Parts: sequence; C-alpha cells; structure tokens
Amino acid sequence: MSDVAPASLPPAARGGWSGRAIVALALVAILGPFAWISTASFKTQIAIYAGQFPFTPTLSNYADVLFGRRSDFAANIGNSVLVALVSTVAVLAVGTLAAHSLRRFRWPAWVSAGFLGWTLVFHMVPVLTLLGPWYIAFRDLGLYDTRAALVLTHVTINLPMTVWLMTAFLREIPPEIEEAARVDGCTPLDAFLRIVLPLALPGLIAAGILAFVFSWNEFPIALSLTSRQTATVPVAIARFAQQYETQHAQMAAASVISTIPAVLLMFCGQRFIVRGLTLGAVK
Amino acid sequence: MLTMTTTRAALWAAALTLAAAVAAPAAAQKPFADVGKQPPITILVASTPWYPAFEKVVGLYEQQTGNQVKLDTTPFGGMLEKARNAVRSGKSPYDLMFADTQWTIEFYEGGFLAPLKEIDPAFELPKELLSYGDSGWWNAQKKWRTADGGKLMAYTVLGNVQLLYYRPDVLKQAGIAPPKTWSDVLAACTKLNDPPKSYGFVVRGEKGNGIRYDWQSVMLAEGGAVVKDPAAGDFTVTINSPQAKAALDLYIDLLKKCGPPNYGTLGQGDVIQLLATGKAPMGDVVTAAFASFEDPAKSAVVGKLETLPLPAGRSGSGGAVIGNWNAVVPKNAPEAQQKAALAFSRWFLTSDAQRAFAQAGGIPNRSDVYTSDLAKEPRLRWMPAYLETMKFAKQELGYAEGAQVEQILGLRLNQAAIGEMSSGKALNTAAKDIEELFRKNGRKTGALPPLPE
Amino acid sequence: MTAVAALANRTFRHWSLLPAVLLFVALTLYPLANLVRMSVSTIEFAQGTETWTFTPRANVAQLASDDVLRPALVNTLVFVVVSVALEMALGLALAIAVAGLGRGKHWVRTVMILPILVPPVAIGSMWKLMYNYDFGIFNQALVALGATPVNWLGSTDLALMSVIVVDVWHWVPFVFLILFAAVEGLPLDLIEAARVDGATRWQVVRLVMIPLLRPAIVVAFLFRTILAFKVFDEVFLLTSGGPGTATELVNLHLYKVYFEQNQLGYGALLSLAVIAAIVAFLLVARKAAAAVRPA
Repeated sequence: MSDVAPASLPPAARGGWSGRAIVALALVAILGPFAWISTASFKTQIAIYAGQFPFTPTLSNYADVLFGRRSDFAANIGNSVLVALVSTVAVLAVGTLAAHSLRRFRWPAWVSAGFLGWTLVFHMVPVLTLLGPWYIAFRDLGLYDTRAALVLTHVTINLPMTVWLMTAFLREIPPEIEEAARVDGCTPLDAFLRIVLPLALPGLIAAGILAFVFSWNEFPIALSLTSRQTATVPVAIARFAQQYETQHAQMAAASVISTIPAVLLMFCGQRFIVRGLTLGAVK
Repeated sequence: MLTMTTTRAALWAAALTLAAAVAAPAAAQKPFADVGKQPPITILVASTPWYPAFEKVVGLYEQQTGNQVKLDTTPFGGMLEKARNAVRSGKSPYDLMFADTQWTIEFYEGGFLAPLKEIDPAFELPKELLSYGDSGWWNAQKKWRTADGGKLMAYTVLGNVQLLYYRPDVLKQAGIAPPKTWSDVLAACTKLNDPPKSYGFVVRGEKGNGIRYDWQSVMLAEGGAVVKDPAAGDFTVTINSPQAKAALDLYIDLLKKCGPPNYGTLGQGDVIQLLATGKAPMGDVVTAAFASFEDPAKSAVVGKLETLPLPAGRSGSGGAVIGNWNAVVPKNAPEAQQKAALAFSRWFLTSDAQRAFAQAGGIPNRSDVYTSDLAKEPRLRWMPAYLETMKFAKQELGYAEGAQVEQILGLRLNQAAIGEMSSGKALNTAAKDIEELFRKNGRKTGALPPLPE
Repeated sequence: MTAVAALANRTFRHWSLLPAVLLFVALTLYPLANLVRMSVSTIEFAQGTETWTFTPRANVAQLASDDVLRPALVNTLVFVVVSVALEMALGLALAIAVAGLGRGKHWVRTVMILPILVPPVAIGSMWKLMYNYDFGIFNQALVALGATPVNWLGSTDLALMSVIVVDVWHWVPFVFLILFAAVEGLPLDLIEAARVDGATRWQVVRLVMIPLLRPAIVVAFLFRTILAFKVFDEVFLLTSGGPGTATELVNLHLYKVYFEQNQLGYGALLSLAVIAAIVAFLLVARKAAAAVRPA
C-alpha cells in the first residue's frame, strides 16, 4: 500500500524512543474509550448502567440495530455510503482544481482573497441558521428528501476546508517542477493531472479523509433534509437518544457498526487514489 | 423496553407470523371503528420508548382497515424542527404530527393547524378521554388552551406524568410507610440514605427542563404558582412567593440529603439508572419508564418497584405537571389526507384500540381502560397511581413565552440547588427576569414583594 | 490534440475555478443574505404566515442585555484557547513522531483517526457514561485504587475541563491528519542537510521542519479554532451547559435562543456576533504568532 508513498523521514529526523513512547501513549488514549464503546455494545443496558465487569456478552443489541422493526439501519448505511462517497469525490475535485487555479494562475487579488475569505466566513456561520433557507430552497426545487440535496449541501460545507487545505498542501510543491514541465511543452491541464496531483497525494488523502468523515458524521442537515428512507447513519443513531433516556447499548452497537464501513471505505479509497495517480504519474 | 434476546425475537417473529397466518384468511378482524377506505397518510412521530407500542397499534389499524399509514420515526431532538419546517412552506409532508405540549402554543398561535372540527364536523372526542388540561383546545381570543370557548386543535396521543416509584421491600425492612406527603418523603429518604451504597430519593437536578419540570410538582403541591391567572390575562409573576420558597427549600433538601453528590446534573436517564440498578429505593420518574424497570435486560429490580401518585404538600393535594404528546393536523396537508388522518384518529381513540395500545406497552388516554380489568395485570400495576395523579395534574407554562420562562427558571433553580445563590435570591432573580420578559411582550404583569435573601 | 482538448487547455484557467465559485455562491448566497436580513428583524408567525418587522435597535438592545451571553463568551474563550492549544501541540508532536516510524505507520494513522469517525452524538453519550459518578469507568478505577470518586461533570470547577478532555480526544486526530500529510510532503534534502550540518534532532524540528510546516499548521489552527467556537454536540449531551453556567458555551446558547425559544431575529444577530468574535480572535492570534515567530 505504501509502495508509492513518499519516503519516510530520514533517520536523522526520527524521534527515536521518545517518539515511539508518545505514539504508544496516544494509541492507548485513543483506543481506550473505543474499547469501552465496543465492550458496551455487547452488554445489556443494565450491565452498562451498573458498570459491570466481567459481564455476560449478548448479541441482542446488534440484532436490534440491524434487524429490529424500528430500524432501517442497513438502508441508512447505504445512504451514508452513497452521500459520503459522492460528496467527497466531488468536493476533492472541485476544491483541488480551485486551489490549484488560485495558486497557479495570477488571479486578481479580489478574486482569490474574495473567494477564500467568503469560504472562511461561511465556515464560521453556525449550521443551525442555514437549515431553514436550505429546506425551503430544496423544497422548491423538488429536492427535499433526496440524497442529491445532501450531496450538494455536504459539498458546500466541506468546500472551505478542502480548498484551504489543498492550498496549503499545494504550496509544498516547488514551482520549479511545474516550470520545467511547461518548458517541456506540457499543457496546463496535463501538468495538473500528471505532476501536481501525484505530488500532492498525501494532502489529497488527508483532505479526502476529512471531507469523508465530516460528511459521514454530519447530522443537522441530514436530519432536516431527509425523512425515514433517505436518513443517514447519524440520524439513525440519534434515534437511540430518546426523550427521557438514551439507549446506550444499542447506540454503542450502532456506533461500532458505523465505523466499519467508514474505515473500509477510507482504506480502499486510499489505495484507489494512490493507484489511480501512479498510473497517470510521470517520471 | 422491547430489546429482546435473539431467541426471544425469533420466537416473537414466529408467533406473529403464525397469528397473522391464522387471522388473515378468517375475515379481517372486525375494525374497532368503521372508517371506510382512506388514502395513505404519513405521521411524524418521535423515537420514544413507547414508539414500538404505537407501531404495533398502527399495524393493527392497517390490518383491520386496509388503509396505509407511514411512520416517519424521527429522533426526539429533531421533532420540533421537522414539524416547523413542515408547516411553514408549501405542502406538508406529514398529515398528522405529534407535538410535545410545550410546542403546541407556537403552532396554535402561528395558525398553522387545521381545527379538527373544520376537517370533519362530526369528529368528537370520546367522553372517556382524559382531559390532560385541555391542551388540545385553543381559545384564540384569550390566547389560552381551554375548552371554554376554544376550538379543538388536537387530542392527546400519550400523556406522561411522573409518579413516585418506590421499593416496598426496602421500605418495609426499614419500617417506613409509603410516603403520602413531601415531608414524608424527606423523612423516609433521610432514614434510607446510605451513600454510596444507596441514595434515599432521586429526582432531577439538571439545569433546564429537568429541574424545572420536577420541581414544579413540589411547587404545585405546596401551593405555589409561576403566574397569577394567565387564563384571565393576568401575568403577574408569583414565582417568588413564600410557598414557592418553601417548595424550593424542600426540594434542595431532598437533593442534598438524599441524592448523590452530583445531584446538580441528574437527568431523567440518570434517575432511571439509579433506580434500575437498585441504588435508590425511591424516585420521581415518568410513567413511561415503568416498562424498562420490568425488562430484565434493562433493570436489576424487575418486579420490585411499585408506584404511588406524587405526594401532597401544604396545598392539601399533590402536584404534577402534565407532559403529553398532542396529535395535530397541519393546515397545508391535502384535504383528503387530513380527513384520512382524522379517520385514523377516530379509530385510535376507541376503547379497543387503547386497550391494544396499553397491552403493547403504551400509556392509554381513556379512563375506561384504567378502570377495566387491565389494571389488574401485574405489568400494568402503575395504572391506579396514574389515574389518581391525573386528577390533580396540571399543564404549566402554557403561553408563548413558555420556552424562555423555562430557561430562566431552569437556570436559577439549578444555581440555587448547587449553592451558587440562596433560594430566595434565585426566585427573586427569576421573578425579575420573567417580569421583564412579559413586560417586553406587552402582557399585563406585575411582581410580588421580594423574598428575604 | 483535438479541438476540444485545445479549448479545454486554453480555458483551463477559468473552468478550474468556476465550478467551485458557482456552486458555492449558488448555495450560500441565499442563506447568508437571509441571515443578515433576519438579524435586523423580528419574525412572528400568525395565521400560518410569517411577518417580518424591521427592528435593529430592539435586537441590539437584547444582545446588550443578554446576561447568559457574557459567561458563555468567557467559557467559550477559555474552551477554545485551551483545547486548540492542546490539540495543536499534541497533533504536531504525534504527526512528527508517527512520520518517523518505519513500517506500519499507515496502520497507526488509521487507528489515530478513529475518534473522528464516531458520530458526535455517540461520543457525547459514551463519555457521559464514562464520567458517570456512581458507575462510570473513571470513578470505578479510582475507587478500586482506593481514592474517592470525582464529580467530573457535576462540579462547577471540573465540568469545563471534563468537556475539554472529550474535545481533545475527539479532535487531536483532525490536527494529526493534516500535519502528518504535511510532514510526509516535506523535502527530505533540506532536513538531511541540516542534520549533516550538526543540528540536534530537536533543532531540526524547531528550526527546519516547523517553519516548512507553517502553511499546514496555519490551516489546521484556523479550522480547528472555528470548529471549536462552533462546538455543540459534546456539550449538549454531556452537561447541557450546566451546572449553573459553568459549561454554557456560545453555540449552545445560540441553539437555545434560535431554536428552542424560536427567536429567529435575535438568534441571527447572535450568530453574526459570534462570527465577529471569531474573526477578532483570529486577528489577535495572528498578531501574537507574528510577535513570537523567530526572525
């Protein structure tokens, strides 16, 4: 998988044992609560309440989440996969092109500062205030309760971060390389596809993972623009946070289930991007 | 409540299929009410503990009448927003919506709903239906929910009041009689309090809706009130009365002397957790939680809890706040579907349907179900306490500023409980803020002389 | 080259930027304009229709007299400064440390980002259970070790820190991911050269790597700060802003005003005020960073 990834830091810059210690500590801190959620998903509600350990494991939570009458979890996962994948690909494409364009071509200051500034300010707006207007707009377009609406809104809210991130990552590419390509007669489009993109690979992966994750976990817009059949995973999980008490057991099971497709997709997505780019990459 | 092990789930599935197979050919069961052929409708309903029971009853309706009902099950946190979006533009995606009592004022005042009798003049509420404080009637002139001069806008789907849950075995062992007044509760719980093994009495102390709702039961029992006479338009703020202060001091005593150290953050889930694990022998909890206490997957005290109506105070009677789900019909739903929604409602309000609802785990809304043989069933043994509580339960904060008043009270009560300010100061501050609020909205208001701080 | 390809190449400059601009303007113009318009109005509903009245003075007066806003702003500032500082420091340290691992560093990266994969509503509920006074795992561990249980979420002193811990757990992976990608893209020859020149490992990090990582650090800081100002799910589920006003944060307050109390006009003004606060904070941060940067 990492055969085409950029080489590791040279031994000179590696942290040695102090670096490894930090990583080990971090892994424990991160996996700890995760292990807790996973064990909770096999407990009954009362075992969770009483903090029982050891406990008798049960599969009933998973059964309830996946096959219960109240649940359309499999369909919800399908919706989430579709929306997250499509919106991630779209925002990466649109965002990277825009970042490249702003950097490479001399746009007047008002265009680049204006666009970047507008996206940043928009990012500061609380999502709550966008729900009403978007609901009305999509309703009028006949797109209420569709996954297309979710894809469009997710691309919009992830665009600021994608553009800014890619701007930062593209800046790491020395301009001489692109200059050399131009001198060699490479067209701007070709230069972008064959030279810039492969070099920006780590950044693309990071931006892609973040866009995917934010779309996958996005809740308020999904809640407001969908109904039962187009609902996504976070909406389904929120159903377990009921009026008086949270059904912790099922919520834990649902959370565990929902991380699996996300991890798988990111894994495969990574390899796909790497392979796709290396096929087109040049010396 | 309906979390089952896989084997039991399989058995249920088998039983249901068998039952369906047997029932279907033998002409569909005679419908509880004759509603005729209706177009399909969509209902906005929250994912709540009683939802599975409702779903079962809807299935029964579909089976008996052949009419289709789609349920859009929404997380509770998203209900209000979805309801608002649905009524504010174009065609409503829902034909029937369940609105929590606190949201009804907004929808009534906004004119978003179709009065039920304008959809079908023959629609009548059965006389056995509990009134739930007339939350379904709206008098537009007085801007008050009352059947007196009001139009029928909604009916109660499910009414939740809180009951006093207790462990007869624990109380008997300590030689304590089941408490009838709040002072009884305080005396009993201080005796039973044995931290960290057991907390004598658990109730919500959480900032916001938690402490406001639970405290108001004590406030009403002690004869306190938030405003003087809102039905008559008199919004004089009376929250800082001596009776209210007595109620607050009593409540803080209960929290401090009988609750866990983190009483200032106890929510409904926490209270249920403490009762279900057996750490608390007494608590103030919603009726809907009873079913979870009887589920071995959710409770360590199955069969051990009993219920009593909420205790009485100096006013001579008990106090309880009604929290009920009201079924409303949006004005912008298509007419044929509005009529279909009412047809379903007529069916749902029959005695047979309510019995089915109760047996499936819901809380029925007709008094004849409570006085029937169903009340004798062991897992429905909360029914007598419920019926008794409904005799004195009241609707609170039934005006447009309700949400803001709750926020003010919810903050100040919590601050008094955790010791950030004295009870007198908390009530005085709340009274001042509430009075300002009413004044800004042009209400006729005033204040009581401030309490000693 | 075909005519189409030639055209595409000639106009690449334009159509590479156009989709982003068009899409963004199309979807954000209406909501933003609506927000500004709402902030100077009072919106009421009657007979099924909305009525907008122009009331800028009343809205501003309400902003000035909102006495939950002040503690909310203070708490939010503390929250943002502490959590972002911790997340940036930890994220950077981890990015460099993980990049220095040999084989398996991509597996480590996958594990590191697990926290941001969990839906926020689940994070809030699970951590609330872990912090539970009577049955939570932290107190159970403390009791097992012979210590007294701690009132993590119920004590006015500890509540905000407890929320910050959850936020740090949740978001360090975000910073890590961005900085790790940036470290992977660093030019190795510069680092080698510095090492050859006799610099210590720490000097290499401080004087060579960090300046090169600056664009990525800035972006990570920028977005992490904005997201921290907008935090909602974790606080809502963990403490609801309590006890008292200890964990009342600005976005939570906004939710209560705009959504629960249905005050759309004032709520919109409040959002604009929050945006102004964020911009002010970022400007101050930029000045501070410029002052600290070595020559």
